[in-house]
Amino acid sequence: MRLLILATLAICAALPAYADDFKSPLDRFISAYARPETAEFSQTANVLPGAVEAICQDTGKETKAAFASSFADTVGGLSRIHFLRFGPLLENDRLSRLSFLPDPRGITQRQIRKIYAARDESVLSVASLRSKSVALQGLTALQLIAFDRLGAVVLGKAGDNREFTCGYALAIAQNVAEISKSLAEDWADPKGFSSVLLSAGPENASYKSSKEALETVFNGLVTGVIITKDQDLLPALGSSEAKARPRRFPYSRSENAVPYLSGEIAGIRDAFFSLGLKSLTPEEHVWLLDTLNFEFGNAQTYLKKLEPPLRQTFGEGGSYGSVKALTITLDSIRELLSQEFAGALGLSGGFNALDGD
Amino acid sequence: MNKNAMLKPFSRRDFLAALGGLAVGQAFTVSTLAESLLTKTDGDASPLFASAYQLANGDYGIGIVDDLGQMLARISLPGRGHGVAVSPDRTRLVAFARRPGTFAVVIRPFENRSPEVVASETGRHFFGHGCFSADSRLLYAVENDFAASRGVIGIYDLSGHEITRIGEFDAQGIGPHEALLSSDGRTLVVANGGIETHPDKGREKLNLDTMEPSVVFLDVATGGLRTSHALDPSLHQLSLRHMALDAKGRAWVGGQFEGPEDETPPLVAVFSQDDAPKLLATPNRILSNLKNYIGSVTANVTGDVIATSAPRGGQVLFWNVSDGRFLGSQAIVDGCGVAPIDLDSFLVSDGNGALSFVKDPTLPAEILARPPGISWDNHMAALS
Repeated sequence: MRLLILATLAICAALPAYADDFKSPLDRFISAYARPETAEFSQTANVLPGAVEAICQDTGKETKAAFASSFADTVGGLSRIHFLRFGPLLENDRLSRLSFLPDPRGITQRQIRKIYAARDESVLSVASLRSKSVALQGLTALQLIAFDRLGAVVLGKAGDNREFTCGYALAIAQNVAEISKSLAEDWADPKGFSSVLLSAGPENASYKSSKEALETVFNGLVTGVIITKDQDLLPALGSSEAKARPRRFPYSRSENAVPYLSGEIAGIRDAFFSLGLKSLTPEEHVWLLDTLNFEFGNAQTYLKKLEPPLRQTFGEGGSYGSVKALTITLDSIRELLSQEFAGALGLSGGFNALDGD
Repeated sequence: MNKNAMLKPFSRRDFLAALGGLAVGQAFTVSTLAESLLTKTDGDASPLFASAYQLANGDYGIGIVDDLGQMLARISLPGRGHGVAVSPDRTRLVAFARRPGTFAVVIRPFENRSPEVVASETGRHFFGHGCFSADSRLLYAVENDFAASRGVIGIYDLSGHEITRIGEFDAQGIGPHEALLSSDGRTLVVANGGIETHPDKGREKLNLDTMEPSVVFLDVATGGLRTSHALDPSLHQLSLRHMALDAKGRAWVGGQFEGPEDETPPLVAVFSQDDAPKLLATPNRILSNLKNYIGSVTANVTGDVIATSAPRGGQVLFWNVSDGRFLGSQAIVDGCGVAPIDLDSFLVSDGNGALSFVKDPTLPAEILARPPGISWDNHMAALS
């Protein structure tokens, strides 16, 4: 009997005591990050249609600057929420409609050319634009028609396409405003997706436990880090400094690459810390939180070394090295989150890696 | 067998249009992007791919994507899927449940049928893979006869109105995982993982000390055993699970090692009917980071390069078919599904939703697309 008791004790001691109720962190994430950030994005995007109308009515220095500023604000707002790839952002293909990324083979450009070649007027109203390809509906398409390759605003520029482009740009801006409004409303709705996240249990079709619900949020943040490195940075770095392709930085055409990158990394950090997981983290792993904060800070330091606009400046000074160092920092952040921290809290991640077959 | 269907050249537009015709209820959706891509005039010959996925809300399905990684169609599944078998005439595909699942979904768009769910026989469950006969009439599914603790190949006839299970072959081993038909259509190659499982015990592995994985070559007409190969007894815990056939009919097999974690045995081997198995050497700096696990194995279109994915290590490894030489690796986090694209390249899917194009293992992979909210499951099949 004594041996059995000892054996049982040994097994108990070997199993870490993971927290099993993650409702409070989810609640904090919803109220301190998802709701205010989507509301902010919606408010910002709501300015965009007016900015398009203004530049198209009276194209001048001020309206151009106001449009560029509104576009930058909207892209900035997007950068802080695009990694919430669950719940409201997935409804009705919202994310793909807002921002069609990645697009390395230029699907959007090709589809826009066809629209112009055919003078397809169905892109001129938000109602009919919604039935078009998702690539034609959002900020990635607007950037292509409103800015030239050097970052200058061309929306409102005199020419045969002026009216058509203005009409199409307005429809996109209205579409983005409407999608972001619906997104914010869905997050704000206490009976919406937030209740799904907060009501984990046997009756919940998506989450049988609050741990599963937390894993959805947590793995979304890890995926956000992967996207930032693999999708937003590596294509621009290319195979060598001589073969760097700064045009591949997201939103670089409108000179918003650095704010976008900075926004997404800051957003992932803020979303992670909004969970307030310190009290649920085993004491011997609490240091991870400080290390993560430090690494997120390092990432911003590397970004601050970059001089916008990247399409013109990338490759000068130590910019290539800074972005390269940033990718290593992002690897470190991913490892800390997906291996160390997830392990410390007993969270599972890695759809194929963890439980392959 | 519908001879017209057999002779019909693959047309992406016809395939999608036929799939679209099945759009009843929520079982099937066509994406907004698809509508515009469907009408593009230059894309009819471009290839399609199929893979099982999980959505962020926990739902499962099969996604049909094009060579730009765009999701053109989705077919929902009743549970988590695994492998997808494509008929040689390209008119049918079958999505298998992940082990120990009991469903397979048969999709026959050209026959104006909604997706049909096939339940495994009483006393059997599916292991997640299968393949078609050369005439596309029969489906061979790897199954577990769990009471007897033996693997079988269930044989299903898809030629009639009803799908009927007409018999089974002995898999000549425990835990058959992947089965492929040789290019001459006469030999069924089966990778027996060797791991005993029982549905009452979920995915628990019951015989790790005594497991005996093998790769067997069966006569597809009779089920008779032609050859059975095992690795050296010192590697009996290397479960042989996933494979691809090269132009010579040799099976390139990827394994998962069930022995001590601090050991790093070779994970890839080549099997042929007549010769002894050959283990392939992986550089130690790579091998030591693979966490002893290969997730899927695929040959490129020309058959001269094999890709083996290692999702736990976040790497895809490439091999020269002519001499078994390691060509290099590509880092893809949670990358597992691999399908041939173009003549010499691979499309790799991952658990974070990305579809990456890999042409040269020494250059960074190109992420073509990342459908939001999708986690691609272990395998991807080329439909054309």
